[in-house]
Amino acid sequence: MLLAKTLRSSTFRLALISIAIFGAAVVALFCYVYWSTTTYVRSRSDRAIVTELAVLQDAYAGAGRDGLITTIARRIAGKAFDGGVYLLVDPSYARIAGNLEVWPSILKGGSGWGNFKAREWKPDAAQRPLLRATFESLSDGSHLLAGKDIQDLEEFADKINTAVVLAILLIFVLAGAASVSVTRRTVGRIEAVNATSRAIMQSGLSERIPLRGTRDEWDELATNLNSMLDRIEGLMAEVKQFTDNVAHDLRTPITRIRGRLEKAYNNLPDGDPHQLLISDTMADLDGVLRIFSSLTRISQIERSDRTAAFRTIDLAEMVREVVELFDAAAEDKGVHLEAVGDRRVLATGDRDLLFDALANLLDNAIKHGRAAGRVTVEVRQSDGSAAISVADDGPGIPADEFPHVFKRFYRLERSRQTPGNGLGLTLVAAVARLHGAQIEMLDNAPGLTFRLVFPAPNQSGVEHRNELRKRGSLG
Amino acid sequence: MTDGRRRILVIEDDSETAAQLADSLAASGYQVDLAVDGNDGLSLGHSAEYAVMTIDRMLPDIDGLAVIRRFREDGIVTPALIVSALGEIDDRVRGLRAGGDDYLVKPFAVAELLARIEALARRSDTVVKETVLRVGDLTLDLVSRTATRSGREIELLPREFQVLEYLVRNEGQVVPRAMLLQHVWDLHFDPTTNIIDVYVGRVRRKVDAHQAYPLIHTVRGVGYCVRAPC
Repeated sequence: MLLAKTLRSSTFRLALISIAIFGAAVVALFCYVYWSTTTYVRSRSDRAIVTELAVLQDAYAGAGRDGLITTIARRIAGKAFDGGVYLLVDPSYARIAGNLEVWPSILKGGSGWGNFKAREWKPDAAQRPLLRATFESLSDGSHLLAGKDIQDLEEFADKINTAVVLAILLIFVLAGAASVSVTRRTVGRIEAVNATSRAIMQSGLSERIPLRGTRDEWDELATNLNSMLDRIEGLMAEVKQFTDNVAHDLRTPITRIRGRLEKAYNNLPDGDPHQLLISDTMADLDGVLRIFSSLTRISQIERSDRTAAFRTIDLAEMVREVVELFDAAAEDKGVHLEAVGDRRVLATGDRDLLFDALANLLDNAIKHGRAAGRVTVEVRQSDGSAAISVADDGPGIPADEFPHVFKRFYRLERSRQTPGNGLGLTLVAAVARLHGAQIEMLDNAPGLTFRLVFPAPNQSGVEHRNELRKRGSLG
Repeated sequence: MTDGRRRILVIEDDSETAAQLADSLAASGYQVDLAVDGNDGLSLGHSAEYAVMTIDRMLPDIDGLAVIRRFREDGIVTPALIVSALGEIDDRVRGLRAGGDDYLVKPFAVAELLARIEALARRSDTVVKETVLRVGDLTLDLVSRTATRSGREIELLPREFQVLEYLVRNEGQVVPRAMLLQHVWDLHFDPTTNIIDVYVGRVRRKVDAHQAYPLIHTVRGVGYCVRAPC
């Protein structure tokens, strides 16, 4: 997976582009070096051959054919011109003198240069050497050839050629390997940041990006991000402390008030008119407390970074239980309530919270759906992810209201008269977020569908933490 | 229940709440020892044997959970009811993990506290395995899972039978809504909807409609009670 990420990464693409540019430059440079070296060596050798031929022509001009033959013999014996080949032939190309037997066919007619091999030249060599020669026609119609064994030269050029090709290959292989490893490192570091971010989104602010102690820019980035996280965690803790204190400081006096009311109620004789007053007060107080509890519950879920109560639950079984629980309420309103879908759908989560969220969705569907209508709860598992949807066939909600329904205390104008406090869907949204679930609202035409889509188990926070740990130990 | 089993330790720093608790518990026949902070509670808890203890989550000196943890480390297994003024989401897990047996969120009806203390105190008693439960003219056959009233069978869904069974098992006691949720649905806090009331309402209709006298009574703001007329 890391390799695939490496190959996809922009760092790797940049590295490939640099390799291409520098590679082209290196290839051009090496080609030039090869070309100029071999050209230089060859032209030196050619100049020597031309000089040799000029020496022989001088001998011919000065001493005639016999002088030339003598000079050729001397040159062959003298080794002044190492590896030199000579041949003097008559106009019909019959050999007169020299150390070659046959006039090379490549040099017949006109003038110029030719590379050839001769059977008689170093016959015991493993490979027949390459000879290079030029010729001149003499005034008596005979032809004079002078040349040189250039086998060493060719071998030298071959060696340079091989060296250049190998060097280019080596440079490309090294550059490729280096860019993969550099990219891998970069991707690995970015992936550590990514994995931490995912783990934080999944399971809370306790995760930190691992440092490598290299004090490079990555460590600096990680340090900065970590101190940002520390700061956020600190603020969250302060907020938590604050809400805890508010909760504590409000609940304690309310507990006293409730206690006093209960005591007063019990001290009155049964049937006393004040008893009704007191019990109404207690009922109102309980109503206030329910809203208060819902609010604290929502904010606790929202800032919850713990998934301690998470375990594997069968959503299908939970749906059946909730549907059975709401059967009585549906019956009261003449609503046909049914659960459909898969028999077994596993997900990871907090059963209490999911039960409560689903109960809120069903409560809404029955309360705001059509009287004598139909409410369907569907639970499905596909590709490892699970989805629960609650659909009614009531009046639905205008699409422009969709984004608002999850806000605290938000209520549609027409439902102001029905009991409720506008916190139910806020709670559903908070529970969904805690579980990393997507919440969707769809027009059921007529009616409304709420859909909760849970991530596949392998995307859970636990997996991310493991992934992170693995990464950390790699680096 | 003998006297030894009716001694209760209340660790509560708010003096008025503590006094209210002590009064109500004393009125129900419990002998109450009060501790105003964690250290006080620890020394009392170590010196005497209690049937149940209630521990406030936020104490001036030691965290209530730390007190329970200390008791458990010292081998004191007295059932502990955590009384929390914080929300239930965090405490539900942390409180029970620290060794608490039940928890109650402030503010609470005294009747609910009493019901929970009763339940915790009973927990240590031996449970008799009955196969038939009777209240008034209602008979529950726990083997065939059928309920009959005056000889006529009442048609109940399995979960409805469980609700009725739990209420009947606690005959004469107030069963708080939260305890019903916990035992029948395995839910550990009150849902934000009033669905349980609707559900129990239907059970009551099935059990009490067209009968000589009602058996299931609602205790306002707390829960339910099954009681036959004397």
